[in-house]
Amino acid sequence: MHEISLVRNIFNTLESEFSKAELGNLSAIDLRVGKLSNVEPILMQNAFEAVTTAEDKYQQVRLNIEVVPIEIYCSACDARSTIEDYKFACAACGQPNNNVVKGTELLIHRVHFG
Amino acid sequence: MEKAQKSTKAARGTVTCDNTTMHLLKANDFVAESIRRKMAEQGILLLNITSSAGSGKTTLLQETAKRIGHKVNMKILVGDLETERDADRLRAVGVDALQIVTGGICHLEAQMVWQAMDNLDLNGVELLIVENVGNLVCPASFDLGEDYRVTLIATTEGDDKPKKYPRMFLTSELMLVSKTDLLPYLPFSVDAVVADARDINPNIGVLQVSSTQDIGIDEWCNWLLEKVKEKQSSTTHKKNESHVFSDPR
Ligand SMILES: Nc1nc2c(ncn2[C@@H]2O[C@H](COP(=O)(O)OP(=O)(O)OP(=O)(O)O)[C@@H](O)[C@H]2O)c(=O)[nH]1
Ligand SMILES: [Mg+2]
Ligand SMILES: [Zn+2]
Repeated sequence: MHEISLVRNIFNTLESEFSKAELGNLSAIDLRVGKLSNVEPILMQNAFEAVTTAEDKYQQVRLNIEVVPIEIYCSACDARSTIEDYKFACAACGQPNNNVVKGTELLIHRVHFG
Repeated sequence: MEKAQKSTKAARGTVTCDNTTMHLLKANDFVAESIRRKMAEQGILLLNITSSAGSGKTTLLQETAKRIGHKVNMKILVGDLETERDADRLRAVGVDALQIVTGGICHLEAQMVWQAMDNLDLNGVELLIVENVGNLVCPASFDLGEDYRVTLIATTEGDDKPKKYPRMFLTSELMLVSKTDLLPYLPFSVDAVVADARDINPNIGVLQVSSTQDIGIDEWCNWLLEKVKEKQSSTTHKKNESHVFSDPR
C-alpha cells in the first residue's frame, strides 16, 4: 500500500495551505477516509508515526481518522442508502445502483491549531 | 454542508477544510484530467488494464496486437515494479511498447503516464493501452485519465474476488474472465464471479477469454474496435462543433 506517500501528501497539502508559523502550532489533523478509498486506518496511523519520527517533525500532531461508510443515491426514489455488504442496490426500491455519493473520499477534513 | 474557510489570516483553533483543495489525491487527479483532455483532442482511446499479478494482462495484449495490430494504430505503456520484461514481450509481437518501471511503487500514477507519453510518438495513434501494475488495491484509487478501465480476473483466482476489491470492480467498464481454458480443472464458477461483480457494479460488461486457446479474443478485439470508433466519432463531432464556434462567418 501507499500509506507512506499519502502521509507525505498530507504534509505537502498542509504546507501549501498554511504558513510555517501556523503549522508550528498544529495539534491535530482530522482525516476522512471512505470505505472505498482502500486506506486502512491502522496502516495509515503506523505510516504517520513512521514519517513524523523519521523526519523529526509534526511529532506533536495527532492524526484522527474518520471512516466514512458507502452511500448511494437513487434518483428514482430520491433516496440515499448505506451499503453494508458490498451489495450495491437502493434500499427503497431494491434496484441495483452504483451511483456512489459517499465513501470514496480521502481528504483532510479539519485541522486543529493550538 | 461544510463551509470552506480560507487560511489567509493566521489559522487558529479548528479550521474546517475545503473538500476539494484538501483531497489527498488531487495532484494525481489534476494530471489525469490533463491526460483526458489531451486524449480527447487527439481522438485517442485510452484504456487502463488492471488485475492481480499474473492474471494474463500481457499475454492478452500480445494476442490483441497480433489480431488487430494491423487494423488499428495502437501503442502500449506497461507498468512494472522492477523489470522491462513485459515491454520486451510486447515489442516481440510488433507493437510499440514502453515500460514504466515504478521502482517498487505498487500502482501507476497519472504523472508517470504523462511523463511516459513524452517518449511516445502519439501521431496517428488511435488506441493507447496502459497495462497497470498487477494489484487490485492501489491502482483502483489512481485515475490515469483513461476512457475505460478493464479488469481481468483469472480462473486460477477466487471467484469471490470482486467483493474483496470493490473499488476496482465499481470503476471498471468491463471484466475479462481470463484463462478460461483452465475451467475444467478448477473450482472457479463464472456465474459466481459475474454475480459477485454485478452486486457491486450492475453495469459491468463481462467477456470470457483464453489467450492460449483463442477463446473470446475476437469478442474482446471487437469491443476494442467498437470503442475506438466511438471515441473517434465523438472527437470529430466536437471538432466540427468547435469549428462552427470559432468561425463566426
Ligand atoms: N492457461 C493459461 N495461461 C495463461 C493465459 N494467459 C496467460 N497465461 C499465463 O499466465 C502467466 C502470467 O501471464 P502474464 O500475461 O504475464 O500476466 P500479467 O497479468 O501480465 O502479469 P503481471 O504483469 O506480472 O501482473 C504466464 O505464465 C502466462 O503464460 C491463458 O489464457 N491460459
Ligand atoms: Mg504483465
Ligand atoms: Zn430506488
